[in-house]
Amino acid sequence: MKQDDPMQIQEPLLMLSRRGLIMGGAALMAAGTLGLPRGAAAQSAPAGQAIIGFSQEVTVLHPLMSHNEVDQGVFWNLYSTLWAAGPDGTLVPVLAKALPTVENGGLSADGMTWRIELRDDVKWHDGTPLTAADIKFTIELVQNPEFRAQGRNGYTQITDIAVEGDHVITWKLKEAFAPLISVLGWMFVVPSHILSKVADPNDPAFAAAPVGTGPYVFAERQTGNYVSLKANPDYFGTPAYLDTLIFKYIPDLNAMYTQFKTGEIDYIGLQGIPANFYDEAKSLPDRAIYEAPRGAIENLTLNLSHPALSDKAVREALYMAIDKTAIIDLVYYGVHKPAATFLSSAHWAYNPDLAPHEYDLKKAAAHLDSAGWVIGADGIRVKDGVRLSFSNSTTTGNQLRAETQQLLADDFKKIGVEMTINNMVAAVLWADFWKNSEFDSLMTGTVYTIAADPDVTHRFGSAAIPLEVGSGSNVSRYKNPALDALLLQGRTEFDHDKRKAIYFQVQAMIRADLPFLPLFDTIQLEGTVKGLDGYAYNMNTLCNTWNAASWKKTI
Amino acid sequence: MGRFLFGRLMQSLVLLWLVSMIGFAILHLAPGGPLSQFIAGGNLNADDIARLMAQYGLDRPLPVQYLEWVGRFLIGDWGNSFRDQQPVTAIIAGHIGATLELMLTSTLLSILIGGTIGIIGAVRRYSIFDTVATIGAMIALSIPTFWFGLAVIYVFSVDLGWLPAGNRQTMGHGSFLDRVHHLIGPCIVLALVSTAIWSRYMRSSMLDVINQDYIRTARSKGVPPFQILTHHAVRNALLPMITITGLHVPALLGGALVTETVFTWPGMGRLFLDSVSYRDYPVVMGILMFSALMVLIGSLLADLMYALADPRIRGAGR
Amino acid sequence: MTTTTSFIPARKPGLLHRVPALRRFVRHRLAMTGLAIVLLMTLFSVVGPWVIPFNDTDTDIRSRLVAPFAGVHVLGTDSLGRDTLARLMYAGRISLAVGLSATVLSMGVGVLVGLVAGFYGRWVGMVLMRFVDAMMCFPTIFLLLAIAALIDPSVGSIIVLIALTSWMEVARIVEAQIRSLRTRDFALAAQSIGAGSGRIMFRELLPNAVAPIVVAATLNIAHAILAESYISFLGYGIQPPTPSWGNMLENAQSYLSRAPWLAIVPGIAIMLVVTSFNFIGDGLRDALDPKLDR
Repeated sequence: MKQDDPMQIQEPLLMLSRRGLIMGGAALMAAGTLGLPRGAAAQSAPAGQAIIGFSQEVTVLHPLMSHNEVDQGVFWNLYSTLWAAGPDGTLVPVLAKALPTVENGGLSADGMTWRIELRDDVKWHDGTPLTAADIKFTIELVQNPEFRAQGRNGYTQITDIAVEGDHVITWKLKEAFAPLISVLGWMFVVPSHILSKVADPNDPAFAAAPVGTGPYVFAERQTGNYVSLKANPDYFGTPAYLDTLIFKYIPDLNAMYTQFKTGEIDYIGLQGIPANFYDEAKSLPDRAIYEAPRGAIENLTLNLSHPALSDKAVREALYMAIDKTAIIDLVYYGVHKPAATFLSSAHWAYNPDLAPHEYDLKKAAAHLDSAGWVIGADGIRVKDGVRLSFSNSTTTGNQLRAETQQLLADDFKKIGVEMTINNMVAAVLWADFWKNSEFDSLMTGTVYTIAADPDVTHRFGSAAIPLEVGSGSNVSRYKNPALDALLLQGRTEFDHDKRKAIYFQVQAMIRADLPFLPLFDTIQLEGTVKGLDGYAYNMNTLCNTWNAASWKKTI
Repeated sequence: MGRFLFGRLMQSLVLLWLVSMIGFAILHLAPGGPLSQFIAGGNLNADDIARLMAQYGLDRPLPVQYLEWVGRFLIGDWGNSFRDQQPVTAIIAGHIGATLELMLTSTLLSILIGGTIGIIGAVRRYSIFDTVATIGAMIALSIPTFWFGLAVIYVFSVDLGWLPAGNRQTMGHGSFLDRVHHLIGPCIVLALVSTAIWSRYMRSSMLDVINQDYIRTARSKGVPPFQILTHHAVRNALLPMITITGLHVPALLGGALVTETVFTWPGMGRLFLDSVSYRDYPVVMGILMFSALMVLIGSLLADLMYALADPRIRGAGR
Repeated sequence: MTTTTSFIPARKPGLLHRVPALRRFVRHRLAMTGLAIVLLMTLFSVVGPWVIPFNDTDTDIRSRLVAPFAGVHVLGTDSLGRDTLARLMYAGRISLAVGLSATVLSMGVGVLVGLVAGFYGRWVGMVLMRFVDAMMCFPTIFLLLAIAALIDPSVGSIIVLIALTSWMEVARIVEAQIRSLRTRDFALAAQSIGAGSGRIMFRELLPNAVAPIVVAATLNIAHAILAESYISFLGYGIQPPTPSWGNMLENAQSYLSRAPWLAIVPGIAIMLVVTSFNFIGDGLRDALDPKLDR
């Protein structure tokens, strides 16, 4: 490291100004890329390339099939949605002419009938015009039980889809479902004229040669290595500045950071720069580093059917024994922000007035004493023959999580609680172990929402426990009838402000019950090389290449 | 000779069949499965998962799955990857070039360097050079390859900035020189072990040859020592080395896996590592079969060379 | 069968041979150096933790990544403020134990398979040896990885894993030896006086194959210690907080520029021990088989 580099003094200034610019201009830029009519200013032909580094591999290019975060990062550039959320959560129409509201006739007063008008100047990458039939086909494909869909949440409510002419589509809902508008914000429309001719909905041919309506067209891919896209000259919105996007897969975080440092990649995205390089990264010349919130909450997911963890007093005591500041500052080098709930503090429905968390080992111990947990011969508390001992699991190979586990275990031991560590490879953890709630507790970073909608029925609803009903993601096996009622209210309420109030209550209720212990709001350290402008993070998407069409090279 | 070849081919086919059974059993007995990558995203319900299991045929009994796999394998359908739905054969074809490039260049490098060290060591037996080479080879065989690789990256890429930190080429600019530049680091790392092996074998092979009668005869006839070396000794000492190279294929493939991981080299080894962690069964099976095939071809060639060199073995065929 | 060393107090005919062999071995300078280093490292790992005032798991995150020779921590501290020297010692216990146990296990399996295959020959030998051949068609690291996916990474399972991928070589060596020995006079004589198969195998044949087994075992320890580090590097190794030289190296990767000693220290330990075992193996080979003097 060059300690006496004069550039270093100016670097923070450069970063600050650029970040300010990006945050201020983000909404504007979002509008620009997401398909507003072309500006009057003539734009020069696309030029240059950006090499995007991901530590996860781009897998499926069919946007409705099961996919991961980085896949979505490609989808935003290859396909289009009806509308999309910018960094501040505001929805902006893309393929639709306007967002459906009661005022413009897009929504009936009860929210049960939808009518959407489409732009008439959109062409698929093969030249065929986009019509309402494509939207209908897309929705029906997700509904098809034979199709390996990413998820059907919301889609199952849609019925009576009808097409009026080429550019109007209508449907009805079986039950009121307010989150649908967010869900459709992630619905990448696929071409009916290609896919309806294929008998098997899971045929892999389309994913090998994808056709979309987005600002970039598919160029080539090499499995396990990269996917490249070229600018779409016939894009209906503001065309891309860059000629080529290359999504490069670098399987190791350290290697990815090294390559960002040595200039092999222009942008370092998911999973970002490891926290231990934070200080070093900030001092790199000609690099801008961003603290992008991911919407993921790092937490201890507790199994409430565990004999000790089922006791609310135990959960409260454990929460008091977590030194969030130490974890964030010492293990994660101060990168993340303490979390209090399942939503990121940047989310529009985040409740800032929740009961504060305090780290106090004495209080925690006293709390356990008063709940009847007495210290046994081996220093571990016991109550009614139950030892206050549980295991914690996370995926192997995550060093910082392993360090956090050890810090937590140390602190828990001081209040007479034993936490053993039982880590396993991802393919084992994310299988029956997770699905059938075979764990005692997990340490994971969880995105609790779907398409950034605050509805969390699938995570905390008592009808969403996979072990009991075979569906859902409530692996904590948390049951609270009052919460169920509140969640139902939130799902059927279409008014934004009223919904916000409901989810404030939901968060307060979950804060009181502690089915999971929030640790921190995950900040992902991303970076760009100097001269790559236009980057803006957006926690309403899974991946910050969502607006790569407005990235440009200025050097 | 024909019978020998036929026998060896039959034997190889039997081995390949055994390899497929062992590989299939190992993979499918493992807990977890290829669907976990989708579950991790948190968007799948248990009923979705059950449906996907059925669609992929993962819910059927193992022997049935195995027979289906064998049937398709024989007609050239090696299945599709769980990750990106692409045919396994196409994926392997897309990665084999990078691995071969690395393996061939590093083999060449190790033959040149290791061979030279071995020859000098044999000619100047027990000299300081010989001792240093012997100890050096032992140490080279004892260094964890990835550790050496990381050191190379740290020193030559991060500190000095002479070499790229990984990959096969600068993305979007694949000139020949650029590719050579990218090849240097991984090639040196992969060649380390084979150079050590080559120097050891070459030394003993040379010692064998040097003590043969015809070398002594040539020497007594007054042929210049350097000419003896180049015209007689080295040429004859190299022959058994071809066998060594053939038998060295598995080690080289393993070394390539580690080297590719360190240098994010887009070859088969790294593909294998990723596929294992994803439980991408079809790709893992495909690579296992393919590498077994390479190993068998290597040893077949080694045997063939041996048989050609030593007529006694031809009829026997072991 | 408990350990390979139990084969050494063998039959009379070998004893006379072994004395000059021992003499040759003692004169082998590199082998003796190797032996000394191995003994020192073992002593260091076994006794060391009692001598120094730190242990391997005490975290002190406020004094993390302290450089070596700068304070009370002779070899510095790691990312959690744990004493590197203490971890190196505890890790040495694990890594050496893994190396030895995996070798014992793989020798056991390899010798048994080779013995049975070589003794019975015919289809038993055929089937067993084809299985050995098939296992050897997998590059070792591919096999390690594929099986690593099967198991929960613990010290015990890593030992089994390494043993499962390294017994084939010994099986081949033993099979070849036994196949040639069983037609010799002393074996036929034992058979003619009605000795049982087990007795002939273990009492008559095996002692005569000890030399190559001992050499293979020594080299196998080197291989096993290296294998442990490879598995750790590829993410399937022994899990923290248990330290091993392999996972110390793996953890060091994130700190190559800030704390290079974290990578250098365990790397050198591995290199020293593995090289030493290789030297010992070489020395043993030269000592036990004078024809191979190269």
